[in-house]
Amino acid sequence: MTDGPLIVQSDKTLLLEVDHDQAEACRRAIAPFAELERAPEHVHTYRLTPLGLWNARAAGHDAEQVVDTLLEYSRYPVPHALLVDVAETMSRYGRLQLVAHPVHGLVLHALDAAVLAEVLRSKRTAGLVGERIDDTDVVVHASERGTLKQALLKLGWPAEDLAGYVDGEAHPIDLDTSGESNLGTDGAPRPWQLRPYQAEAADGFWHGGSGVVVLPCGAGKTLVGAAAMARSKTTTLILVTNTVSARQWRDELIRRTSLTPDEIGEYSGSRKEIRPVTIATYQVLTLKRKGIYPHLELLDARDWGLIVYDEVHLLPAPIFRMTADLQARRRLGLTATLVREDGREDEVFSLIGPKRYDAPWKDIEAQGYIAPADCVEVRLTLPERDRMLYATAEPEDKYRLAASAPGKTEVVKRLVAKHRGEPLLVIGQYIDQLEELAADIDAPVITGGTSVTERQRLFDAFRAGEISTLVVSKVANFSIDLPEASVAIQVSGSFGSRQEEAQRLGRLLRPKGDGRTAHFYAVVARDTVDQDFAAHRQRFLAEQGYAYRIVDAEDLEQATEEPA
Amino acid sequence: MATFSEHLRGRSDDELVRLLLRRPDLAHPSPATLASLAARATSRPSLERALAGVDAAVLQAVEAVVALLAGSTDPADGVRARDVVAAVGAGRSDAPGVRAALATATDLALVHPAGGRATDPLLRPAPGVAELLGPSTAGLAAPAPHDPDPAAVPGLLAVAPAAGRAVLDALTWGPPVGVRPASGPAAEAVTELVRAGLLVRADERHVVLPRTVALALRDGRTHRAPATPPAPEDLPRRDATLVEAEHAAAAERAVRLVAGLLRLWGQSPPPVLRAGGLGVRDLRRTAAALEITEPEAAFVVELAGVGALVRDDGEESPHHVPTTVADEWLALDLADRWARLASWWAATARWPALVGTRDERGSVRPALGPELGRPWAPRLRHAVLGQLADAGPGAAPDAAAVREGLAWRTPRSVPPLDAVAAVLREAGWLGVLGAGALPVAGRALLDSDVDPRPALAAGLGAALPPAVDDLLLQADLTGIVPGRPSQELEALLDRSARVESRGGAVTVRFTPESVRDALDAGSTADDLLADLAAHARGGVPQPLEYLVRDAARRHGRLRTGAASSYVRTEDPALLAGLAEDPRHADLGLVRLAPTVLAAQAPLHELLAALRAHGLAPVAETPDGQVLHAAPTVRRVAAARPRFAPDDAGRGAQPPAERAAALVGVLRRAEEARAAGGSSGGAGAVVRGAAAEVAGSAARGAAAADGSPTLRDRASGVAAATAAARADRTTGARGGPRPSAGTADPAEALGLLREAAAGHTEVWLDVVGSRGALERRRVLPVRVDGGRVRVVDTARDAEIVVAAHRVAAVTPVDAAGTEPADDDAAADPRRTDTA
Repeated sequence: MTDGPLIVQSDKTLLLEVDHDQAEACRRAIAPFAELERAPEHVHTYRLTPLGLWNARAAGHDAEQVVDTLLEYSRYPVPHALLVDVAETMSRYGRLQLVAHPVHGLVLHALDAAVLAEVLRSKRTAGLVGERIDDTDVVVHASERGTLKQALLKLGWPAEDLAGYVDGEAHPIDLDTSGESNLGTDGAPRPWQLRPYQAEAADGFWHGGSGVVVLPCGAGKTLVGAAAMARSKTTTLILVTNTVSARQWRDELIRRTSLTPDEIGEYSGSRKEIRPVTIATYQVLTLKRKGIYPHLELLDARDWGLIVYDEVHLLPAPIFRMTADLQARRRLGLTATLVREDGREDEVFSLIGPKRYDAPWKDIEAQGYIAPADCVEVRLTLPERDRMLYATAEPEDKYRLAASAPGKTEVVKRLVAKHRGEPLLVIGQYIDQLEELAADIDAPVITGGTSVTERQRLFDAFRAGEISTLVVSKVANFSIDLPEASVAIQVSGSFGSRQEEAQRLGRLLRPKGDGRTAHFYAVVARDTVDQDFAAHRQRFLAEQGYAYRIVDAEDLEQATEEPA
Repeated sequence: MATFSEHLRGRSDDELVRLLLRRPDLAHPSPATLASLAARATSRPSLERALAGVDAAVLQAVEAVVALLAGSTDPADGVRARDVVAAVGAGRSDAPGVRAALATATDLALVHPAGGRATDPLLRPAPGVAELLGPSTAGLAAPAPHDPDPAAVPGLLAVAPAAGRAVLDALTWGPPVGVRPASGPAAEAVTELVRAGLLVRADERHVVLPRTVALALRDGRTHRAPATPPAPEDLPRRDATLVEAEHAAAAERAVRLVAGLLRLWGQSPPPVLRAGGLGVRDLRRTAAALEITEPEAAFVVELAGVGALVRDDGEESPHHVPTTVADEWLALDLADRWARLASWWAATARWPALVGTRDERGSVRPALGPELGRPWAPRLRHAVLGQLADAGPGAAPDAAAVREGLAWRTPRSVPPLDAVAAVLREAGWLGVLGAGALPVAGRALLDSDVDPRPALAAGLGAALPPAVDDLLLQADLTGIVPGRPSQELEALLDRSARVESRGGAVTVRFTPESVRDALDAGSTADDLLADLAAHARGGVPQPLEYLVRDAARRHGRLRTGAASSYVRTEDPALLAGLAEDPRHADLGLVRLAPTVLAAQAPLHELLAALRAHGLAPVAETPDGQVLHAAPTVRRVAAARPRFAPDDAGRGAQPPAERAAALVGVLRRAEEARAAGGSSGGAGAVVRGAAAEVAGSAARGAAAADGSPTLRDRASGVAAATAAARADRTTGARGGPRPSAGTADPAEALGLLREAAAGHTEVWLDVVGSRGALERRRVLPVRVDGGRVRVVDTARDAEIVVAAHRVAAVTPVDAAGTEPADDDAAADPRRTDTA
């Protein structure tokens, strides 16, 4: 029995005691093969999954290394069955390979004929493969490369994709390091360059070929994309969630790379430009008319060398299917939270690629690249009358009733007053509640109905400090860049969506010039479903190490004075 | 030359002592003479036991001796040790092993010297050994008169066709019998070989490789290679610390599962199936509640059953309920609890792996059911654990390797692979193995002479990691004990949190429900937080404190209670003083609100009391309607009697009384018989009574058994036979001629034996397969093993009748007239109506 920082559980979770001397070394050693599941204050939980182990194999780690690492850091003897299972699981990877055959094109090659026989017998592979060449090889339809990989993953025999990528049309792209950074730990601007973790993430992606980079909001995922483009030096298709976000990508690329405005096209509802670097929205791609997707040819419009998926956790289902056809091209997924409420993380992994880089939010906060945040749940006790109303409401109305409880207005007012002068967002789900709030605190409101120009104008004004308070609906969930928002008050959310909560907190994490702490308030009606949903929403952040403090609405003033 | 008994007589005292020690069955009961010892040593059961205990090398040596001497008719023939060495194909290095095996076989009196020099005797197998080993010992066919001459065989083989060679190769090392291919080149080759005399046609479909040919093909050997023990070096080895750690973890888990089972069943005991045991659905429910697979749940349930921790509570609708033994067990510390589980497992003759399999009638065998007993189970467990122990420390052989070891050690009784696998699996679950290897504690089970429990407990105690009293509480409402929690901490977490994962550490999550459970169990928020804080290394995080406080705030805000009736009014003044009035103390009035009183007394008493008090209450229905009260008259629903009166009488009669009654019947029958069978009335009584007993037995059997068909038929036969016998016993009712025949089973068999010995004919009344009586005139040939072999003289056919179907036997008189008795052909089914 050593005195290591790691405890290996029989259910394949790994518990890492963070206060241990060797914790950091251990974290680095297990990160390649174990998925970080929770990172609260004392003990981080990692999990060994087949996917994680296969990704490790893909990245060049073998079972012996994994076993050695576990044995080295484990405090107690590691269950033998688990080690056997690790070795067994990892040995399944790469028995099948997708290779480019000089004569037959794309071929599924087996190092073990029995495995090939097994997968070919399965119904899942029917129609994906063509003629059998010999005992160990079978032709694969090039268009089914992604679907086949997915099917093989489900069968438990993941294929190693050695068929390589098409180079794509070359296009010179370089990072432009002449600008200044908007951050300095001392508050002063510095020459701009990639942050170490951004460079690491871009490297990780490039070596892996394709995959997903997970970084907190505000940690500069766009720049990881830019760095990847600079490595690829090819035409690039960037898929984003909405037009606002598309414009931000454009601005950021112009600022930080050698690309000029003429080289970047926008392909959205309003504009249809195809340029060497094209930024398209998911919405326009998934637009369906008379049963067909009229804008799909965009994917083939050029010989793209790189495809970037922004906010990959929101990737809509049709895009998955289209992505399956793009397996010959390098794919980079970017996200803050690879938590999908629909549980389709596996598809992201198999179609876009495995997770290539991941860092706990708190680590990046500790390095000073994202602002520290103070999360507070304000619990509002409903007055007698509202409680009666809530108790007698139909189940489907209960959340709305609790979430838009009138008492919340008062709490918001007090919070706004407290943070007067700081850039502040009030975020909510229900439009009438937001409009009411906006009237009460005298702030403009942005909803889905607000026109793009108006929205842009308000954002610009907010950025410039002309207005300090904005009330926004869930349009603010994604990719709006509000660099100096430092306070957010969430009055209601999409039920128990964990990733929405994380995205909203993410709005605040862009580092502040003066190193201020960001404040995130969730106003919750006590003893209602609102509270239950809030608990679920907070789970992701709590697991990332963001401890929510809970404050009663009545003693808001005293409680929020306390240091975070 | 010496016979076996001469050899025994010639043995020295030491040699005889050795023989008696190695074959203890020879000494019990003590034989009177050496001759009887020799007789016993060559009896089939004793030889069977002796052979069952020898290892593969000894068995091989004995086989070689038998095979080499097969076909020899001269009692002076024998084989020398060097012949055996050559026959098993042993080289120089293996020869001493073969000689040692022969020496052991001689010690055991399985072979004996029959001549030659004392140092290099001619060996012969003990009488009976060859028969025991069977006709084709060592895969060689029995010698046959037409076997080709050994000298001619090489010549025949030299000209054998190439295709035939493959056929011969396939049969060379036995078994010597092959199936003839129907067609094709192989069929031709076989025909060719038969023509050449290299194969012999056994029957239409089979051919046999003659002994002389096989020996020629084998170069005169009897075995391909000398038997050698499996090499333990090849087995996977586990590190001792790993073995001990996994043993401890598994042992702790097993104890926790059994404790969990007792808690679960203590709260909601599952019902006992009619035929005994635990229903499939209840097993599934238990497995789900314990979060284990069904086979493991069956094991846990069986383990609890073996230790009498649970049993059938014997109520009218019985349930499996934890016993008082369970409380004693739960009060022990972890190591002692486990020691008991392990010792129960090792000793029980129940075989939990049978749960869920189907018996020969196709019904699923339930856990705790009556059909799980397998007498060999403890022996097999002991043998398997013994194999593991012999393989050396840390060896973790799989089931196949263990079986291979057992096949070496006791080649005559090799357990099936799945039985060995079941032992290993259960031992793993129980923690008698750790990582597949035997830990220190597991060795305690090998010495069957002493109580293993102290050693088991001590072994586990040493293997358990030290208990940890620290709890790390985190803001995401999880908590982690970085090690094995102390008993106190375990109990705290047990009542206030849900376990998320176990292993080296325990992680728990606090939820509103788990905290509510703790509050329900009587803790207050302050107690709970103080308890957590006492263990928490970094303090209690604020969200957890909020969770507990919020749960406590909501806890108990609704109150419930029981009342039998109530008083309500619009006017509080009417109720004033009512609850406090001492005259109404026995009504149990409680003021719930200014206008509501609850009462413990039933409604009619309450009404009466209030009226007596001068008030004017009316009763109301649940929806507030006034119940116009004629004085309340009570009624209850009439219960239907459970049994019809006469049925009830019979159902209540205990088996002992029934048996006594039957004896009475039998006695009377005996007296009637003594009286000469002249009284037809007595006969009628007897017949009626016997039929009744048989019929009720049939019904009893049908009722006791879930599937009536087979048993019913069997009972029907029994009933029919009994009824028919009753008829016979009393003689021919109304018939003038007293019969010399008998229906008494023992006597009937006696008559049959006599007839067989004397070659005389009898009339045989047999209950046919449809329950009807058939009468035949037959010549008995043999009576044994519950069967009667007879020749039906009229049809000149030999038939075999099961003894229990024989209803009556009557010697054929000189005239050969049939004992005319119309009753015999009567429909036996009428007995069912009795």
